[in-house]
Amino acid sequence: MATETRTRSVVPKGTLYRGREGMWSWVAHRITGLLIFVFLLVHVLDTSLVRVAPEAYNVVIETYKNPVVGLGEAGLVGAVLFHAFNGIRVMLVDFWSGGPKYHRQMLWAVGALWVLLMVPFLVRHLSHVFGG
Amino acid sequence: MAAPLLEAPRSTPYRRSTSRRSNYEMYSWLFMRLSGAVLAVLVIGHLFVNLMVGDGINGLDFGFVAGKWASPFWQVWDLAMLWLAMIHGSNGVRTIINDYTQRDTTRMVLKTLLAVALVFTVVLGTLVIFTFEPCPVGPDGALLTGAPSFCAG
Amino acid sequence: MSSTAREKSAAKRNGEHVDENGHAHGKAGEEASSENGELGAIPSFDVVMRIRRYNAEDAEDGTPVEARWEDFTVTLHGTDRVLDALHKIKWEQDGSLSFRRSCAHGVCGSDAMRINGVNRLACKVLVKDINPDKPITVEPIKGLPVEKDLVVDMEPFFQSYREVMPFLITSGHQPTRERKQSQEERERFDDTTKCILCAACTSSCPVFWTDGQYFGPAAIVNAHRFIFDSRDEGADVRLEVLNDREGVWRCRTTFNCSEACPRGIQVTKAIHEVKRALLTRTV
Repeated sequence: MATETRTRSVVPKGTLYRGREGMWSWVAHRITGLLIFVFLLVHVLDTSLVRVAPEAYNVVIETYKNPVVGLGEAGLVGAVLFHAFNGIRVMLVDFWSGGPKYHRQMLWAVGALWVLLMVPFLVRHLSHVFGG
Repeated sequence: MAAPLLEAPRSTPYRRSTSRRSNYEMYSWLFMRLSGAVLAVLVIGHLFVNLMVGDGINGLDFGFVAGKWASPFWQVWDLAMLWLAMIHGSNGVRTIINDYTQRDTTRMVLKTLLAVALVFTVVLGTLVIFTFEPCPVGPDGALLTGAPSFCAG
Repeated sequence: MSSTAREKSAAKRNGEHVDENGHAHGKAGEEASSENGELGAIPSFDVVMRIRRYNAEDAEDGTPVEARWEDFTVTLHGTDRVLDALHKIKWEQDGSLSFRRSCAHGVCGSDAMRINGVNRLACKVLVKDINPDKPITVEPIKGLPVEKDLVVDMEPFFQSYREVMPFLITSGHQPTRERKQSQEERERFDDTTKCILCAACTSSCPVFWTDGQYFGPAAIVNAHRFIFDSRDEGADVRLEVLNDREGVWRCRTTFNCSEACPRGIQVTKAIHEVKRALLTRTV
């Protein structure tokens, strides 16, 4: 064990690896996934207040109805949509024989689809959040 | 003079923990992809119904939840989403822990915490969905405040 | 082709002006000409090589010191590769600079290093192709313990390689004739025979950086080379090795390996095929 710590410490930090689309999509996939997981834990907890009392649930939900949480929700939806579409891209890479060849084009498709869905969602959601 | 002590070649500190001869990682990998495909549909449907249809985010209150869970369709939908998302997420976080923790004790502690969070959340969520009462009454038999309007009728 | 025409076309390639006599008058050409006082001298340019230096012996109290950057300015020609720049530094400026190289022609796989942030073979990258106006960073490959400067300990890499049993496994008697194989059968693993074990792929993999136990792309590529060889009978054993906790299921398809491979092997595709063979249990 001692030798292992020694060898590990010798690896110099150096610069960031300049990976391309594949690497950055993986980084984003990992970050969004972690974000969604943390939200999910909180979301199950607050939803389980419906079992305590209707008032308790309504009070907590009411505190969520402000612009800060509203923007957070928009970010969450963005993360979920990216994670979902990129996940489908990963599945195509894994299961479709043409996947490894077209992985980059598929990432652009993921981006296009994401924008296509986020625009109408943001219009509607932000008008709810800021329009009262 | 004693000869300098030389390490025998190949007696390096790099040792891979012995293979466990199981398909566990394969099934975990497969589960991530299959559950991911189902979750994409479930979660996007969930978001659409809760945020886009009707009053969107402003329509959310106890009555909204009660109205949804009055139907077995949404109960099954949410139950499936809860289980799949929690297992999918925990498996993903497990991979992240495996990747970034260096010490065995840290890894054990984090994985234990993760397992506790997984079991707690899944059990809690399942109980809530199954024992949910859309028209809750107090000890005096009257409807609690905040109960949806359709209960009165 | 006359000598003037040849000179013209060469000057054109270097982006220089050519007068009616066919003499080059580029910026670099003028500099070189005025220095040497002769026409037609080969144009040269100065470039800063920013090299990651590390030497465990630098520490006075025996504790390892932090790696540091060191800049060297070298004068190079358009035909010089990064390896030539490193040679110039080692031979003319600082003899303590350490790096591995052997054939210097992209076949032995000794000089994989991180050039401007990506894994490349130093002997294959032309300096003029990677923007010599800015300092060129050269670092050791990631994820393997550094021994000195650009030299890393390759043992973890080769241990994974050995574990996939990269040799022909057969049963029965030795045949009296050669083992025959059709062109189609050979085609299945042709891509993965090109591997030169330079470790550019394995040390470009984000999973390998953080989890040194992962077999890594190179070991999987070399397993692929035998798993899909019709003459080999050890596919099941190798697939079982790669079904390990640290085997193919660790692959996150970031495609860094495919982009890093100096031989152009479709590494991610090879891993994909091994995964598929494991899922269906058919080779």
